[in-house]
Amino acid sequence: MKLAVAFAIAALLQVGLTASHLWWVLAACQPLLLFIVAAARRFSPVGAAWSGIVAGLASDVLGERIIGPGGIAGAIAATVVATVVRRFEMEGPLFWIVGSLLAAACSEGTGMLVLLTLGARPDHGPTGMLAAVAMTGVAGLVVAAGERVVRAWRSPGRRRRRVLRRL
Amino acid sequence: MIRIRLRPDYAVVLVCVGLYVGSAAQVRSPVGGTALSLAVTTLSTPVLALGNAVGEACQDLWTGERNLRTTLAELSRLRAETAELRRTNQLLNAEVAALRQGSRLLAAYPSLTDSAVLARVVARDLAQTHTLRLDRGSGDGIRVDGAVLAEGGLVGRVDRVLDHSCRVQLLTHPAAAAAAAIAGVPEEALLNGGDQPHLTGLPPYTKVPPDTPVLSTGSEGIYPAGLLFGSTLEARNDGLFTVVPIRLAANVSQVTVVLVLAPGGRGAK
Repeated sequence: MKLAVAFAIAALLQVGLTASHLWWVLAACQPLLLFIVAAARRFSPVGAAWSGIVAGLASDVLGERIIGPGGIAGAIAATVVATVVRRFEMEGPLFWIVGSLLAAACSEGTGMLVLLTLGARPDHGPTGMLAAVAMTGVAGLVVAAGERVVRAWRSPGRRRRRVLRRL
Repeated sequence: MIRIRLRPDYAVVLVCVGLYVGSAAQVRSPVGGTALSLAVTTLSTPVLALGNAVGEACQDLWTGERNLRTTLAELSRLRAETAELRRTNQLLNAEVAALRQGSRLLAAYPSLTDSAVLARVVARDLAQTHTLRLDRGSGDGIRVDGAVLAEGGLVGRVDRVLDHSCRVQLLTHPAAAAAAAIAGVPEEALLNGGDQPHLTGLPPYTKVPPDTPVLSTGSEGIYPAGLLFGSTLEARNDGLFTVVPIRLAANVSQVTVVLVLAPGGRGAK
């Protein structure tokens, strides 16, 4: 359920960030890739691949691009992220930052590769790729910070300190 | 029944291959556009066509209903205009008929034109009072006892005058009387009114041929001499006199224009 909500929020964010009056660098951010990262922590690499396919296809639909390359790229990115975070047992901010950068890089690279093999013209070049990786990494950083804040807010230590303060 | 079980990782690969093939198909599609746009176009075309058809039908219906209202309003207006024109036409026809009758009347009595007033009949009561009402009065020179002449002949005399109208006592009035003479009969007679006007005062056994004109003599000082009252019917003896019923020349029920002569007028044709 949380993943479904996260998927919906990510999709809305991805559409909202492409608004014409926003800075173009923000449009390069791919919040749906953060959904892949989140799924990679919960599912196995194969399960994450399915969520990557779904997220990639949604990204294609929302971006009004050819439907398919995004799904392939999402599947590969999700598999890679899931494998890496398991192999190196990443947790916390490192998981989000490395995961988002890795997902963005894999997704962009794979997508570009697929499009080149299809003979289609990509809708952005290397600069756009770099921007997408960077902005998705920034988004991962923001999510990591947010998670940190939430954990700190819900931590037993803080609860104890509040209780002690009332005594 | 054969049950195919696919490993999840192979399924992912298979789906990716399928996506790749689908992407290639989209890239090489002669229609162009993505699969989404193609699907949206394919699905939305009939819906849009239906919507357009419904919209056009509604638009046509609305336009037709508006045109119908306009047409009905125009029809109503034209009907009212036609009724108004019909009334106007009837009035004009009556006016033309009266003018023609007046014109014929003036042409029939050219010598009376200067001393007479042309008047129009505005009301008539032939059954009760045996009178006509004319649209001319003292302001137009009408005086009491002026003889009233229609196209066929005399119809009576003026017995009451107002400023802008007057009343005519017809020869069919029971009190009407005039001096008259039958053409070819030397004796003068008295014309008495009533439902059946008749001549009296003639000697007994006076031979009076039927359909002989009865003319005014002017002895009573009202009707100018020589004007036609009517024609004789079959005479009969009544005591010491010969009584001659007469048929009046003027059909009072159809008279619309008359000439009102000055009292004691002379110079008839």
